[in-house]
Amino acid sequence: MADDDLTLDDVRKMAMEVGMTRLGDEHLQQLLRATRAARARRASLSGANLGPADEPAHVFRLDAESGL
Amino acid sequence: MSDLAWLTVAEAAELLRARKLSPVEYSKFLIDRIERHDAKLNAFLRFTPDLALADARRAEAEIMRGEWRGPFHGMPYGLKDIVDYAGLPTTAHSKILRENVATADSVVTQKLRAAGGVFMGKLSTHEFAIGGPSFDLPWPPARNPWNRDHFSGGSSSGSGGATAAGFLPAAIGTDTGGSVRNPAAMCGVVGMKPTYGVVSRRGVLPLAFSLDHVGTLTRTARDSALMLDLIAGHDPLDPGSSARATGGYTAEIGRSVKGLKVGLIRHFYARDMEADPEMTAGIDTAARKLAELGAEVREIETAPLGEYVACNRTILTSEAYAIHEKWMRERPQDYGALARERLMAGAFVRAADYVNATRLRRKMTGAFHALFSDIDVAVTASSMDTACRIDDPKALEHTYARQARAPFNVTGSPALSEPVGFSKAGLPLAMQIVGKPFNEALIYRVAHAYEQATRWAERHPAL
Repeated sequence: MADDDLTLDDVRKMAMEVGMTRLGDEHLQQLLRATRAARARRASLSGANLGPADEPAHVFRLDAESGL
Repeated sequence: MSDLAWLTVAEAAELLRARKLSPVEYSKFLIDRIERHDAKLNAFLRFTPDLALADARRAEAEIMRGEWRGPFHGMPYGLKDIVDYAGLPTTAHSKILRENVATADSVVTQKLRAAGGVFMGKLSTHEFAIGGPSFDLPWPPARNPWNRDHFSGGSSSGSGGATAAGFLPAAIGTDTGGSVRNPAAMCGVVGMKPTYGVVSRRGVLPLAFSLDHVGTLTRTARDSALMLDLIAGHDPLDPGSSARATGGYTAEIGRSVKGLKVGLIRHFYARDMEADPEMTAGIDTAARKLAELGAEVREIETAPLGEYVACNRTILTSEAYAIHEKWMRERPQDYGALARERLMAGAFVRAADYVNATRLRRKMTGAFHALFSDIDVAVTASSMDTACRIDDPKALEHTYARQARAPFNVTGSPALSEPVGFSKAGLPLAMQIVGKPFNEALIYRVAHAYEQATRWAERHPAL
């Protein structure tokens, strides 16, 4: 589903599926805006530079030498 | 003695130690100042003068007996209201946690208490450290002491406002996407987000586990270093806590910046995002001042600001939603509108996007820290704009995202917001000084040298 195609009915169904059953119309409008914004942000995550062996920072720790 | 409002931690500590200033007198002075002025600034969510006077009397008795504990003995401070103080509610400025009484001190509170600090109260925040400034919450939002029609930044909004207003010499804030450094920039004070893991987060309500930092708001770099010396240290019960030794943050203060290599990340505020011209001029002038003082300043390049921000927001919203999911299901109406919408952004982030953001984080962090083989510190913008009006939702939404702080939550680097002057409208301008992990002392050296050469910290708002 393209980001712009996401409708209020879509997010209402999505919200129900994850247990957000108490959202009013105003809340659903907020969820629609927030979800569109989050999906638009995906384009800025430059995943193309990631290779298969690039590990996540699951447990994020730093040391002075490596920065990780 | 109106000057008591503007004593730095270092100045007050010397007077307290020498028994030239009584902790009780000092606290009473600030209590009176807060009672006279905070109704128009809302820096305090819960003002606790009785607790303050009890702490002050205890400190006074100990100092009089010759039992001086160190530079925070008898020193007034405040806590952002997501930081636990045993017996008081930690509300996060939210209806949801209105009755949430802390059963124990946070580690930071324990350390400030052990140092003999005088606790003055809980300070306003954006709701759950993300939603604000808002007028639909149980308490009003903090306002900017330089112009109370403007917001004080956030989410450590009361911490910044109280420090700038001369209510407190020092306050604790937290920073997940810039929330110590934003109020510091907006209010013209010094805000330090130390290296990830240097200060324990135990007893602090999380916003996003892997990005949360506890930091300081003070009026000078030296004061920030003194406070960080107290609150830093390994905590085996905080999974993100670093085992490295901490302390010695004042060690380089007073040394010249001559010969230091300063990398100016100008593309953040001149190309990736265009800062307000007055802000740009303020940062560029500050960089020239560092050069005049003998630093070698040159422009450097890192990843575009947008990549860092996307990485930060993807991780932040995902982790935050995981924390808030239960309340979002059961009590969505009890959030303010801003917090609800910002937290909802994490509801449908794909697992692959979250994991890829953490993979990018690792790569970006390594690449950023590699820059420090050729530089000692980096300088860039903190905020792109001065504080906007608090009653203008469009302006607030516009300026909320216009910042260059989130990159250093991604990289975990120590980063300090330092005042660099004022706009024509009289609102503070700021730069950010960023260091290599665990090298806060060098940041303080640069910030202190700059302060000595410019004296912005000697200007105060008229309340």
